[in-house]
Amino acid sequence: MDVELLLTSTMTLASGIPLTLILALASLVIGLVLSVPLAFLRASGNRWVSLPVLAYTYVFRGTPLLVQLFIIYYGLGQIDFIRSSVLWHVLRDPFWCSLLAFSLNSAAYTTEVFRGGILAVPPGMIDAAQAIGMTPLQQKRKIILPIAFRGILPSYVNEVIALLKASSLASTVTLLEITGLSRKLVSETFAPYEIFIAAGILYLGLTSVFTSGFRMLETRWLNAPPKQAAPDGIAVKRVAHGS
Amino acid sequence: MRAAMASSLPESQIAPAAGGVQARGIEKRLGNIEVLRGVNLDVAAGEILAILGSSGSGKSTFLRCVNLLTLPDQGDIWVHGEHLRLRPVSEDDSAPRILDHDQVRRVRASIGMVFQSFNLWPHMTALENVSAGPVLVNRLTRKAAAELGRRYLAKVGLSDKAGSYPRHLSGGQQQRVAIARALAMEPKLLLFDEPTSALDPELVGEVLRVMTALAGEGRTMMIVTHEVAFAREVSSRAAFMHQGRIEEEGSSREFFSNPASPGLRRFLAAHDERHS
Amino acid sequence: MDGFVLQFVEGLKTTVLLALISGALGMVVGLLAAAAKLSRFAPLRVVVGAYTTIVRGVPELLIILLIYFGGTVAISSFFGRYVEINAFSAGVLALTIVFGAYTAEIFRGAVLSISRGQIEAARSLGLHPWQTWLLIILPLMMRIALPALGNQWFSLIKETSLISIVGLTDIMRVAAVGAGSMRAPLTFYLAASALYLFLTSLALVVFNLLERHFAVRGH
Repeated sequence: MDVELLLTSTMTLASGIPLTLILALASLVIGLVLSVPLAFLRASGNRWVSLPVLAYTYVFRGTPLLVQLFIIYYGLGQIDFIRSSVLWHVLRDPFWCSLLAFSLNSAAYTTEVFRGGILAVPPGMIDAAQAIGMTPLQQKRKIILPIAFRGILPSYVNEVIALLKASSLASTVTLLEITGLSRKLVSETFAPYEIFIAAGILYLGLTSVFTSGFRMLETRWLNAPPKQAAPDGIAVKRVAHGS
Repeated sequence: MRAAMASSLPESQIAPAAGGVQARGIEKRLGNIEVLRGVNLDVAAGEILAILGSSGSGKSTFLRCVNLLTLPDQGDIWVHGEHLRLRPVSEDDSAPRILDHDQVRRVRASIGMVFQSFNLWPHMTALENVSAGPVLVNRLTRKAAAELGRRYLAKVGLSDKAGSYPRHLSGGQQQRVAIARALAMEPKLLLFDEPTSALDPELVGEVLRVMTALAGEGRTMMIVTHEVAFAREVSSRAAFMHQGRIEEEGSSREFFSNPASPGLRRFLAAHDERHS
Repeated sequence: MDGFVLQFVEGLKTTVLLALISGALGMVVGLLAAAAKLSRFAPLRVVVGAYTTIVRGVPELLIILLIYFGGTVAISSFFGRYVEINAFSAGVLALTIVFGAYTAEIFRGAVLSISRGQIEAARSLGLHPWQTWLLIILPLMMRIALPALGNQWFSLIKETSLISIVGLTDIMRVAAVGAGSMRAPLTFYLAASALYLFLTSLALVVFNLLERHFAVRGH
């Protein structure tokens, strides 16, 4: 193991951090925004409303993200009408394709997490909102959503970490984020240990920063004394078709 | 059929000017259980009605029917002289429906409700809990609502807890905030659904004191409670529910000192035993 | 597309085999790691703790790349000439390491949730510690861990697709080759998704049946 190479490649790979962060955070935000209305539809008692959303989350959680990315990046070009539309400028670009794939994937997971959070809001909270005369939209915005979000915060951390790691797949469509840069560097130097380990150190740094950041947020928002640190800092992998 | 339901009692029999609440023929089935089997009950403006009954008698369900948190399957309700527009269950629809959501929201906003389990919103401070309704429903400015909120928190003796979150308050304090939340809507009617049942015995007193003070202000109140002594002290009228029906009702004096029905006599006797 | 049906069948076999082998090995690793985490020997706890923390904080793809390319370098230096590591073995190794780290946490949590009373009851029967583990703790733990374990298997099936990046001819690779040669990427990748969806749905059904069969009363 060449320690000097390890250090220099850590520095080199650090230039991939911004792209990794942009991909992960942007798709996290888009996924979150999409998931809120979807989760309410999914939590609806009306089958005709909840089933289409279930179909979406089932397919996106039941297939590998890599396939989803390739369908968007390579596959959509096969459709003539997309090729000839304005959309093509966006859909031929690996960055936008990655963003789209990650966002849709994240929205599917977050929708299911949120649905659980919505269903876990104590009925009494909604009773009180109704009794005071709130409209259904006000009940959702001011009462159900904030309570649900606080409830799912611990599991939402898993989604953040999962997406941070999943952003490494962007390297398969030529993007030079941390993993992409490291693959390029390895092909030039053929020193896989030092370089991939350097990349691993960067990811580990990012995931721990986000984990502890969310812990702090949790403590502040949930207004609770700091929890006993879990034996392992990093949360468990995101839950698949759990419910 | 529906028309027949709504006009089962001619509107002329209810004087709209009377205010208060009139309920006629309220029926409710939850699952396989007939919780309410035709409840008729009136509360005049300014009256304080205590509703007693063993658990499962349907008294809480009835109270929830007044502001339509639970929709009655059959029957008619007038609140402040206004007939609530509902569609009862029928052969082609197994669930009752609200026909006029605006009316229901308007009526709900004019009725304050205090719950057994407080139901404070955990993500809001005491003051935010109290002023949320005035801002969102009554469209007050934030400043005016906060002022109003402080006034009502002071009224329940919790001025110093304005910035506290519910989880940092005792049960008694939470229930007092919940009462302030109901008052801040400046309602014409207050509903209390077993407001002390979830409290530790030593915390019951502070909540009952606040409620007694409210009773002295000439408010219209419906109180579902197990606190017989308290009900006797504050109510002007009382009703006893048993198996989904009103078994006895009357002025408080008659009701408590001279109960007519065997059921109520048993209920009051059992209560005396427990508390002697 | 016709010629590719056979190739897809081969790819499906590879994917299933890869998932089954690394899942089985990974569970063994996970069990051992969980035992290590629960041991009284502090250095062991620290080392295994580092293993699970690191593996769970780093992208699976990176672990696969490290093992594939790192393995190639190691073997090449051993033989003194360029030898490429077999993609299937690299995949099994990488996925075993990943699966072991996640299942270790699941098993550990499950053991901790077994009530002390049940263990003491076993001891009071005069069972040896190892008998207690084998006959009482292990079966109980498996039942408690079942739902979380199902989720992990579900993820594992999807993660096998990453091995195609280092050249394993699994479902994903067959799709990529077909997409290129037939110029019909959408068709081939949709076919691949259908196969993966079939596998994950199958896993879902199997684990639901297992859960129903081994339902722990009172949990």
